[in-house]
Amino acid sequence: MRYRILTVDDSKTVRLIVRKSLKSFDCDILEASNGVEGLAIASKETPDVVLLDVTMPVMDGVEMLTKLKADPQLKAIPVVMLTAEGGRENVLKIAKIGVRDYIVKPFKEELLIEKLGRIIDLKPLTAGPTKARSILDPCDILVVEDKPVIIQQIQEGLNHTQWKIQGLSALGEATDFCQRQVPDMILISLSLPEDGAFKLFRLLRTNLKTKYTPIFALVVKTDAVAQQQAQQIGFSAIITKPIEISDLEAKMAKAMNLDTSPRYFSIDKEFFTMRLPENCSPIVINEVSNHLKTKLAEAVNAGLSRAIIDVQEVKSLNMTIIKLLFQTMQTCRDLAMQFSLVGNTQIITECRGFEDTRNWTFFESMAEARAYLSAKNPVSHGDGEGRPVSAAVSA
Amino acid sequence: MPTSACITEPLIRDHVTRAIKEVFSTMLSQHVQLVDPAKPTGDPAWPPVDGKPTQHEAYVVGTVGFIGEINGLMYLYLPEKFARFVTSHMLGMTESEVVAEGDEVVNDAIGELTNMTVGVFKNALFDSGLSCRLTIPSILRGSNFTIEPISSADRFIFYFDCAGHRLVTDILMKFGE
Repeated sequence: MRYRILTVDDSKTVRLIVRKSLKSFDCDILEASNGVEGLAIASKETPDVVLLDVTMPVMDGVEMLTKLKADPQLKAIPVVMLTAEGGRENVLKIAKIGVRDYIVKPFKEELLIEKLGRIIDLKPLTAGPTKARSILDPCDILVVEDKPVIIQQIQEGLNHTQWKIQGLSALGEATDFCQRQVPDMILISLSLPEDGAFKLFRLLRTNLKTKYTPIFALVVKTDAVAQQQAQQIGFSAIITKPIEISDLEAKMAKAMNLDTSPRYFSIDKEFFTMRLPENCSPIVINEVSNHLKTKLAEAVNAGLSRAIIDVQEVKSLNMTIIKLLFQTMQTCRDLAMQFSLVGNTQIITECRGFEDTRNWTFFESMAEARAYLSAKNPVSHGDGEGRPVSAAVSA
Repeated sequence: MPTSACITEPLIRDHVTRAIKEVFSTMLSQHVQLVDPAKPTGDPAWPPVDGKPTQHEAYVVGTVGFIGEINGLMYLYLPEKFARFVTSHMLGMTESEVVAEGDEVVNDAIGELTNMTVGVFKNALFDSGLSCRLTIPSILRGSNFTIEPISSADRFIFYFDCAGHRLVTDILMKFGE
């Protein structure tokens, strides 16, 4: 839901500051320069919150507030006074008419956002329905860790991605950083001194800009107490040290809602290619399996009828990989796609050792597979017993 | 009710200094320093308090009044260049963008800056028992003018430095009848 906030202030400067403060949040800003305009817009648009100045020409804020609260259709709209008219008695007098909150000018952008955030569920624009990002897109990652070697390990382990990884060692640095720039994801070490990780987590969750940012805890595997505490406080996930980088990467991609399919599937003018990576962890197999049918269907819709299943990078087979390959070949047959396998010597040898895979035939390069599929007349795609019969995958 | 005897020059100076510092630090992230007017700055004294206008660079002067148990006006004198600096910092614009937008955007920003400053000043008076409310801001522009109070009003002028510019507050006050 996109919230609507009405600012009623005769100062264009204040209206601009409010608009600027809220530009990174999923909300629409309506503006009026006096109480009469404010009431008219409130009646027409029924905003979710009104920010109201007091001293204005034509109709001042107190009169507008009184009329708003007397109108059965409008009286439920929360009003936040945003005015230079402070003073205890003044504030109490206006509060009695019925305001949700009171901000005395001058005001900080953060205060305005915090007060509005208590009334409406202000969400950063990135949390809304935006263009889906892929695993190949740049992302900003903040790692808050007092041990430089861990930061270095993460930076080096993920340097094959487009992710920009910023390492910081102290709570203060991290909060300053997040004020300047909201990261896509934050990793915090629970080893920060004086419960720094938990303090930082709470600060980040009370800041509307980082309220929805995924935050992982980094913790030593044996520190069960800290892990339990991190779970209770609400960390998005817990990553144990020593860090398994591929596992971390997969969890981060999932937390950031990144489309991981481009890493495994590609389509060019003639071929659909499924490529399994060197490390086929259960998470990877699961991701590939989840995307498989959709991606093959997209290829068919794009007019393709040839698929290459590339397992050259895989070091060793296991049952989950074999099941995935069976699933892939079966889906190709269901969609009437010709396919061929490309593998390395180790995989080809291992396949010969299993009853169900011994008849699989592999090409040793993509070029050979392409040449074969291009030359082959696409007629038959299976022998009816779940086994492919093309020259590439012999029955 | 407090009387004019309670509103001493040091009290006014403290309230104004706090107001100026709070507004500039909150809205512009700028540090402001109260300075001795006798201290040579290279700038001629402004505003002219002897009734004789002097040719100066162009100034933008914001004014907001307060009305109630105590009445008064505060003028905020900013050299035009400083007014553009303030506007750009308040609105997150570059100074060339401010120039392109024209005087209106500067007038509005200085009007609001004055409104906030007088608001903090007035709220301090309000909390010490002098009930009053603000008026709508107005802007005066020019390089050769003088503002003179009526004889029954008290006048307090303070000088501040901010980011290499001189800022002057001129307060005229009169207790209610």
